[in-house]
Amino acid sequence: MTLHAHYRLNRHRKFEQERRKYVADLETNDIVHVNDVEWEILSRYGTQTHYQIVEALKEEYKVESIFDGIERLERLGQQGSLLSVIDGAAKRDTDSWKQKDGKPKLLVPFHFTNEKTSLDYTTNLNRYQFLTHLTQFADLETLTFSKAGEEDSKAQDFQGYGNIRIRDIETEESSAFGPAWYAMNGYDGILLLSQFLTDDFLYYQLPNVPIVHCIEDVQKLQGSTLETLLNISALQNSNDTLIVRSSWVKERLTEYGVPGEGVSVIPNGINVGEPIDKPLAKQYTATLFEKPMFSQQPVVGLISGFEPNFGAELVSAFAHANPHLAIFVYDSFLAEYYKNPPDNVVIFSANDEETRSVLPIFFQALDIVCFPAIPGTPLSLVLEGMAYGTPCVAMTKYGLPPEVEGAGTVVKSEWRGGGNFRVPMPELSNVVNQWLKPSHTRAECETAAKRLAQKFTWEKVAQETVRSIEEGHRKPSVNVSNRQRTLLPSVFCRRYNPGTGDTTSNVYRIGTNKYDCLETALVEMLAEHHTPAEVKTVFKHFRRETSAS
Amino acid sequence: MFDFPRVLHRLYLFEEEEVLYAADIEKARVIEISAVIADILKLAEEQKSEEIVQTLKTSYPEDEILEAFERFAEFEKEGLLFNRGESLRGTFAIKNKRRKLLVVIPNITTDSFFDIETLYAGTNMALSYMFEHLTKYVDLHFAGSQNRKLADNVCEVDISVADFGRLSRKLNETYFGILTLHRDHETWLLPLYQHKELPPILVQCHAPRGHGGNALNSMLRHYAAMRDFDAFTAPSDYVAEFYSNYVWDPSFFNTLRNGVDSALFCPMEKETAKKELAEHVGDDRIVTTPTVGYLSRVQSEKGASVYLKLAELNPHLLFLIAGPHFGRYQLRELPDNLVYAGFHPREKLPMVYNAFDVYCFLSMSGEETFGLTVLEAMACGVPPIVPNFDGVPSVVGDAGLIADAENFDQDIGTLVSYPCPIDFSEKINRLLSDDGMRQTLSQKARKRALSLTWDKTAQRIIQLFESLHKKRQLVSPNKLLNAFTPDIEVSNPKQHHLKYKSILLSMNKHYQRSLMGDTLYSQRVEDGLVITLLRNHTAREVEALLAEFIEDEAEAKTILQRVRGLIHATA
Repeated sequence: MTLHAHYRLNRHRKFEQERRKYVADLETNDIVHVNDVEWEILSRYGTQTHYQIVEALKEEYKVESIFDGIERLERLGQQGSLLSVIDGAAKRDTDSWKQKDGKPKLLVPFHFTNEKTSLDYTTNLNRYQFLTHLTQFADLETLTFSKAGEEDSKAQDFQGYGNIRIRDIETEESSAFGPAWYAMNGYDGILLLSQFLTDDFLYYQLPNVPIVHCIEDVQKLQGSTLETLLNISALQNSNDTLIVRSSWVKERLTEYGVPGEGVSVIPNGINVGEPIDKPLAKQYTATLFEKPMFSQQPVVGLISGFEPNFGAELVSAFAHANPHLAIFVYDSFLAEYYKNPPDNVVIFSANDEETRSVLPIFFQALDIVCFPAIPGTPLSLVLEGMAYGTPCVAMTKYGLPPEVEGAGTVVKSEWRGGGNFRVPMPELSNVVNQWLKPSHTRAECETAAKRLAQKFTWEKVAQETVRSIEEGHRKPSVNVSNRQRTLLPSVFCRRYNPGTGDTTSNVYRIGTNKYDCLETALVEMLAEHHTPAEVKTVFKHFRRETSAS
Repeated sequence: MFDFPRVLHRLYLFEEEEVLYAADIEKARVIEISAVIADILKLAEEQKSEEIVQTLKTSYPEDEILEAFERFAEFEKEGLLFNRGESLRGTFAIKNKRRKLLVVIPNITTDSFFDIETLYAGTNMALSYMFEHLTKYVDLHFAGSQNRKLADNVCEVDISVADFGRLSRKLNETYFGILTLHRDHETWLLPLYQHKELPPILVQCHAPRGHGGNALNSMLRHYAAMRDFDAFTAPSDYVAEFYSNYVWDPSFFNTLRNGVDSALFCPMEKETAKKELAEHVGDDRIVTTPTVGYLSRVQSEKGASVYLKLAELNPHLLFLIAGPHFGRYQLRELPDNLVYAGFHPREKLPMVYNAFDVYCFLSMSGEETFGLTVLEAMACGVPPIVPNFDGVPSVVGDAGLIADAENFDQDIGTLVSYPCPIDFSEKINRLLSDDGMRQTLSQKARKRALSLTWDKTAQRIIQLFESLHKKRQLVSPNKLLNAFTPDIEVSNPKQHHLKYKSILLSMNKHYQRSLMGDTLYSQRVEDGLVITLLRNHTAREVEALLAEFIEDEAEAKTILQRVRGLIHATA
């Protein structure tokens, strides 16, 4: 990818006289006295990225002086010399964004070790599936850092994630660049997978590289996931995409005022095992859990997304209200902490390859899949539970989620706060019991549910992810330094009113020599450094109104 | 015909895409030129016009050469290509190590500062003395339209304020600082603060109030826009404190007291002075009657109307007015004891002051910040009576009497005060009837005047520039990165109304880790706003914004201080 700067270099002539270096700007007729490093930068500006310029010159000049030189030249550009601001969006060569083999080169700066231990087995497995499939459509590269002469010990962390190239950066004590710096070097996009927004937050400061950030439905991270999602939405530029795994996450974000444009719903692919007879699956489940009723009574699957205490309360209430039903709960928290559930309940969580391998058998034992459509409910497990032809009952306030359209029904629920719904228990019991009976509608839903296996494939996930990067490339980048700059600098200042003797704050426009609207100038100032969402955040905080925002 | 030979600016001629250019390095401008102009420039410093025509007419038609001469006239008018006036290359020579100050005072003829008889406004007079004494320590270069030597260590240089931006790096190499004068409606100075590379700018303020708030508002704009290493001077502590009341950072206002030429203005035999003035005016009462003196422009703002009232109230005393003219008051019926003593050249002023028994200063103008004539009278041993208003009492100290004055909270026109005629009258009579008091105050006045010298003023300017250079060294670039995000309180899941926060990133804008540990640090939106503002705006601008956005001033100041500390610490 060729990164075009937000400024273009004016037609110019460099010359030296009396041991001083000058640049004659042939467009503005200015002559600028430059130092050695600025002289060198000018030879590269416009054809090389800032990264390339710094890397090329850092042996000869101090890194700080290179940055200072770039900043001075860009400041001159703002003042109308040497560089010209490229109007509107940064131009990007959309035809050449992919490499010769047609694959984009994506940076996946993933903290594999940290994340792996913090996330559940299923999420890690999904990531494995996602990345291995993504390598069919994109070249993936990740970063590792090692001291000179030492082999990077983290390389092994990436084994098992498919064909991800490792770019090891030798760090010296003197080098203080963060990982985001290295992301400036020739990537078509950045794929962020972190659920915790640590270093990943920093990549949003990079100019011009589309970012796709995937956030999973991880039950363990409910509260912090919402915070992460809101943070990402605030930081996104117009060519970035936030990928969530279910429609209900996007709907939840809408409730917090997040506009939908930057959020894409790309559900994870699902893994469906070889089908076996339902009675056999029930028998196997009953045997394994030593609960004969699982082979004798209808089995209700509850893919939980509730917070632990509330989940335990709800499971208990539902089980007591429906003693005739066998209830299979999938909940990673409750599996560990809810030690004495009612007799008609089993709680399960896939924590390793072995437990994961038996999950399809349990799912085939289900007669109905019940789930709360809330962030934290893993959609892929819901879909896997249904894929053998099992209809669903969704607890939600939004209506039946589009992912399971035609394959179930809804129990309307209202938010109880956080990651919980206020579930109307009698209605839930009633709907579940109704749907357990054979009917034409149920038969239709069973057929629809079986189709889910074809609909949610990992190939599709990979393709749609790459498409998001591609679309990000096509969109104009309203990024850090190419936002529309104001023509006339503003000075925020106090203004004395001789009629009252009071002072108020105002803004004074140099050039027109007039006072102007404070809020408008503030929006302009903030927009130079922050996204529109961030600007709105500031105004909301101060409860200020501005049409400009 | 345009005259050659000429001294050229430093030029670099070049061709680019078959177009010829002359780069005028001294003006930092590129000019597209024709081939004939390029050839003439090569001969311009050696040959006369006729010789150039002869030399080039084999290559170009004569008309074309003459046309080029006309073009040169236009270039010269624009200040391009040719040195206007004398050649001052020696002045700028590297071997000349003497510090140089660039003085920028548009719309005033530079020569007037060096011909003191042409000056009568107190401000200009003060500047004149100050410049004279500054030359002991620095070379003074006045920005003007030609190069010429004005006096020893003083010259006018052909440099326009409009070129300052382009020439900022050169100006920074050449000058120790830029010295200028604040005026209400100027538009040229404010943009200069945007150029980080210009040397420190010291702005002299003489008019804190009046003019319908224009003076104060202009000052507030400058205060906001100034770089961290620019500053104001105020002629008295009072003025510095007055400004400081409107801002958070009083360090930008530095008292720069005027001085007095104590050798010229010194006590004389009073009888002799009175006789000389009486002879000059043709009024013997100056010798026989106790006299009150007023030396100023005869204007309302200077208290002329009050002075008339004082004369009416005190028919037993003689009230003298010395000034350039009598203004509109000559059309009025004046009391018999009010005498216009006329305009006197500067060397005669000590005689005029010495002829006064007391000096009366009645100015009520918002422009009055020091009262130079008060100091001159004091140097002559004449005890002053001044209104308790603005900076004048601080000049007088205990060497005169301070009369009541009503200070207006709000400006009215150009007036900001009204001296009390009754109190003035009472104090005049007290001083004139008490020889002992008059004698004591006379001695104190002279002693105090001796402590205020123009040399001290000049030294103070140098000291201020030195301190501004130190401040410049302490300026830290703001490389911090931050973001604004919603704030979900995880412990309170029922919370639906979002709060907001700012997040400070551990990476700076050069992609370097500027903070250890976690990469995200939550902070208040207010702190984040200050971080963002300080990327392209001054701390004084932030001050203005915080004053609007945060009710509690102490809290707002703390936030600004905290963020500035962070910026310094992470620079």
